[in-house]
Amino acid sequence: MLAFVVRRIVTTIPVMAFVALFVFSLLYIAPGDPAAIIAGDQASPADVERIRASLGLDRPYLVRFAEWSFRVIQGDLGTSIFTNLPVTQLIAQRIEPTLSLMVLTLIFAVVVAVPMGVVAAWKAGSWVDKAAMGFAVLGFSVPVFVVGYLLAYFFALKLDWLPVQGYTPIAQGVWPWFKNLILPSVTLGLVYIALIARITRATMLEVLQQDYVRTAQAKGVAQKDVLFLHSLKNAAVPIVTIIGIGIALLIGGAVVTESVFAIPGLGRLTVDAILRRDYPVIQGVVLMFSLVYVLVNLLIDLTYTLVDPRIRY
Amino acid sequence: MDRRTFLKSATGAGMAAATGGLAMPALAQSPSKTLRFVPQANLANFDPIWGTQYVVRNAAALVWDTLYGIDSKFQPQRQMVETEEVSSDGLNWTFKLRSGLKFHDGTPVTSKDVVASLVRWSARDPMGLMLRAIQVELAPVDELTWKWSLKQPFPKMLLALAKNNAPCSFVMPERIARTDPFTQITEYIGSGPMKFLRNDWVPGAKAVFEKFADYKPRSEKADWLAGGKNILVDRVEWVIMPDAATAAAALQNGEVDWWETPLADLVPVLKGHKDINVDIGDPLGNVGAFRMNHLFPPFNNVKVRQAVLTALNQEDYMRAVVGDDDKLWKPLPGFFTPGTPLYTEEGGDILKKRNVAEAKKLLAEAGYKGEPVVCVVAQDMAATKSMGDVTASLLKSIGMNVDFVATDWGTVGSRRAQKTPPGQGGWSMFHTWHAGADCINPAAYTAIRANGDKAWFGWPDVPAVETEVTNWFNAKDLAEEKAAMGRLNKAAVENVVFAPTGFYLGYQAWRKNVTGVVSGPLPFFWDVKKG
Amino acid sequence: MTAQSTPVTTAPPAAEPVKAELGRAARFRRYLRRHPSVAVGGGLLILMALIGIFAPLLWTTDPTAISPARRTRVPSELYWFGTDMLGRDVYSRVIYGARVSLLVGFSVAVLSSVIGLAIGLFAGFIRWADGVIMRIIDGMMSIPPILLAIALMALTRGSIQNVIIAITIAEIPRVARLVRGVVLSLREQPYVEAAVANGARAPRIIWRHILPNTFAPMSVQATYICASAMIVEAILSFIGAGVPPSVPSWGNIMAEGRALWQVRPHIILFPAVFLSITVLAVNLLGDGLRDSLDPRLAKTL
Repeated sequence: MLAFVVRRIVTTIPVMAFVALFVFSLLYIAPGDPAAIIAGDQASPADVERIRASLGLDRPYLVRFAEWSFRVIQGDLGTSIFTNLPVTQLIAQRIEPTLSLMVLTLIFAVVVAVPMGVVAAWKAGSWVDKAAMGFAVLGFSVPVFVVGYLLAYFFALKLDWLPVQGYTPIAQGVWPWFKNLILPSVTLGLVYIALIARITRATMLEVLQQDYVRTAQAKGVAQKDVLFLHSLKNAAVPIVTIIGIGIALLIGGAVVTESVFAIPGLGRLTVDAILRRDYPVIQGVVLMFSLVYVLVNLLIDLTYTLVDPRIRY
Repeated sequence: MDRRTFLKSATGAGMAAATGGLAMPALAQSPSKTLRFVPQANLANFDPIWGTQYVVRNAAALVWDTLYGIDSKFQPQRQMVETEEVSSDGLNWTFKLRSGLKFHDGTPVTSKDVVASLVRWSARDPMGLMLRAIQVELAPVDELTWKWSLKQPFPKMLLALAKNNAPCSFVMPERIARTDPFTQITEYIGSGPMKFLRNDWVPGAKAVFEKFADYKPRSEKADWLAGGKNILVDRVEWVIMPDAATAAAALQNGEVDWWETPLADLVPVLKGHKDINVDIGDPLGNVGAFRMNHLFPPFNNVKVRQAVLTALNQEDYMRAVVGDDDKLWKPLPGFFTPGTPLYTEEGGDILKKRNVAEAKKLLAEAGYKGEPVVCVVAQDMAATKSMGDVTASLLKSIGMNVDFVATDWGTVGSRRAQKTPPGQGGWSMFHTWHAGADCINPAAYTAIRANGDKAWFGWPDVPAVETEVTNWFNAKDLAEEKAAMGRLNKAAVENVVFAPTGFYLGYQAWRKNVTGVVSGPLPFFWDVKKG
Repeated sequence: MTAQSTPVTTAPPAAEPVKAELGRAARFRRYLRRHPSVAVGGGLLILMALIGIFAPLLWTTDPTAISPARRTRVPSELYWFGTDMLGRDVYSRVIYGARVSLLVGFSVAVLSSVIGLAIGLFAGFIRWADGVIMRIIDGMMSIPPILLAIALMALTRGSIQNVIIAITIAEIPRVARLVRGVVLSLREQPYVEAAVANGARAPRIIWRHILPNTFAPMSVQATYICASAMIVEAILSFIGAGVPPSVPSWGNIMAEGRALWQVRPHIILFPAVFLSITVLAVNLLGDGLRDSLDPRLAKTL
């Protein structure tokens, strides 16, 4: 098991190096110029040139990349061109909101989607099944920002139950924190519910055909227990897998959700950085996203051993 | 967060829930002392000399004080300065600071700090550069006095030190001011009425300012950047909202107190709200600009440029930018800010009426052969985006070959600096706007200059314009200034330095429990009270 | 998902015996009756495609014609869906928008399928390349597709082609992974091993045995990519990194109306309904295809 974890971590480092290289090279050939943005509209071309030089942006890209990589190895992600703040600090400021949003979304989605999928499989073919699956397909089909605006309009503006925007750190109280995140997580969770509910239903359908489930039913085990104890456990592997695959989806959706609900998270940090060509920030964030992705998938592989003892590493 | 704080906050929330006090327990401690403000843009960096975006200048005006401040009549008034003296030949200036001024770290403000700040500022500011060119010496005399001796008189000295155009001559401690003017400072310490809480700064999300207890306001009543800057709240929080719809909703819900630049189309909703006041934000407004590249075809030909002016209908641009509200825009047959003392419409008739047939004729006379017009249009700025759409249809209507490059502001910023032909990474036109405060006179109006290679992007080369700029700087009285401005406007229209797309204003909106909000070229937080 | 757990049918679906006396049309009707989601999804999709193709005939005006004097009108007899912030007719824009969304959806689906198929086959068949290619693909998959597409759009100017290319690049890894998984499981099949033992060359094996079997999972995957590409296009335009604003795409119309959702919700709602219906149709078609081609695929996709 330990050997497996170590091997996975070692093999993923080249992956991350590749990601870094790929994104870095892309944005360096991009036409934007941070110096021009910083200098402001009234600045003369000569001023822009001098700012560019002072930021070191006039040097060849390979030199900059080599320097950057060397510093990353030492745990230093560099300094943002615009804010002059360390990239690690910028990321640290933004992690809590994004993580909160993602965790709440995940919990919300799983709590809604798994029972929905199980019931749909149990009542396969009935109107309950059709309604649940219809809802799931719809969840895939409506853009996340449309859902966001609709929810904000009704629940925040018309009914005044919840705040329209913003984020309150959890340190200032769990309820204010939660209140700010309800609408964003429901918005973002919709796609996820669709995904998980479908996969749950599909796997459950298969599991329900298995002999041991039929035996349990024949022995008179309560339907609820058959579904949620005997069957769901055996359907867990694909469900957990889809949750892992969905992480990238979730990060992408978070970009939009954060901008609709003005949440100061990593998604907005990334989009702002890309639009402003704040190279060190882009690099740092992408590196972190891939780290999260790799870790989550490792975690999921380890979860398999919990839900299915036959799987060993 | 460790477990104890988690438990604490959890019980806190539980108690709040139990007592029914659901309304934000953490914020309840000081409900009326924090003013929440939605600025026009993100405060992405905070060195007002290094970076000259308006949003940086606006925040800097809270943290750093200036020697002089411009008032609502555009007159420079003493701010940090106690007295000044100028020799009769106009060559030797001596200034004296008010005593007892302190920086946020507790150290007193001295003439050394002022001199170092002026040195750094003058390297970046257009008027500062003019001063540098004629400077003999800039040096401290004693703790509070310094002198500035020049080779020739500079009648606009006090205006240079008072103006609100970026970069303003903010005073920083000497050790900070010694930073190279092209390198960003790392310490944000000033002597202004508010301190910048660096640890609470989340670029892209919020910036926090706290009242500076040791600030010594002047005794006069505050008037724009002049007078006593009395801060009547404890904290000012800037909340960055990239989404206008969200900002509007937040203001309606009372989650924020003051919105600097509400979208014109949402103003009717805000006006109809019982707790919200709406008024013009910056009375000096903005001048929309259609900037052409004078180096390459087709816009290197003055007739092609005139054809665009002839076909251009400012109403189309202005409605696209500000919407249906007629109070928000004015036709602008010239380049300077309407409603200011030097405003002129001389020579601007071509802009008053659209004439597509005439424009086509001019284009034919110019021998336009269908060269592509590379329009580089930023999509992430509402004003440039809307103007770009109008331009595309305008140019097509007179038969020009439009190559529309939809891109972001960062790319426009770098691409417009390219002097290569449009087909080789260059450009033919882009849109921007100039703050009306910069367009009162030629002093800070870099975009009106037409000194060829040294001019702003587009590099117009019109000696007649430059002559009149010099005449204005040397003008002895208002009549002379006005005459020079009239001739300048005429020359600039005739040669189409750039095409003005109109003059437009914006609203600001604030909750009714906030008082003391004034219209001005930047948001002034002094005398603003939250009840 | 690991390749080993990817179950794939070995019998090509086309080999299913069909009663000879049934005519083509009758067979097709029976197929649609059995798989109503194919009928509904396909029908809606054809409808949308027709709307796009015949947009000029559907009582539309020039969707790019601006008219700032008649901006933000509410829906009326004259402007069925109202006008946007530049006074363009939202109805015409929405109708023409069908072209853009469908073009983006289909192009991305086809391009990423073809390229992903090539990469997947290569990786699955050439052992030495597999490791390298899969690492690269893992790396690309760890960047959220939307962020990758935004970064790619920052490289170029906004245009339909560039949007298609950006989304395609972001989607390729998923297809490549799927195909590689299919190839790996097929390689273990006795008939492929037999072919290899008989000395058949790789291209022949791929052509005869592998390619036909990737068709079913690929076509299902392609519909999902098509659906996701249409959503991503809308999101890119929404963020301001998509097709140029003068091009009427549903994402653009919604981006325009974004700030006004409180006062003019119809500017967002009309394109949102069209987009949702189209994506829904594609998803239904995908589900139907999946069920009819191979019920067991339901688990892997």
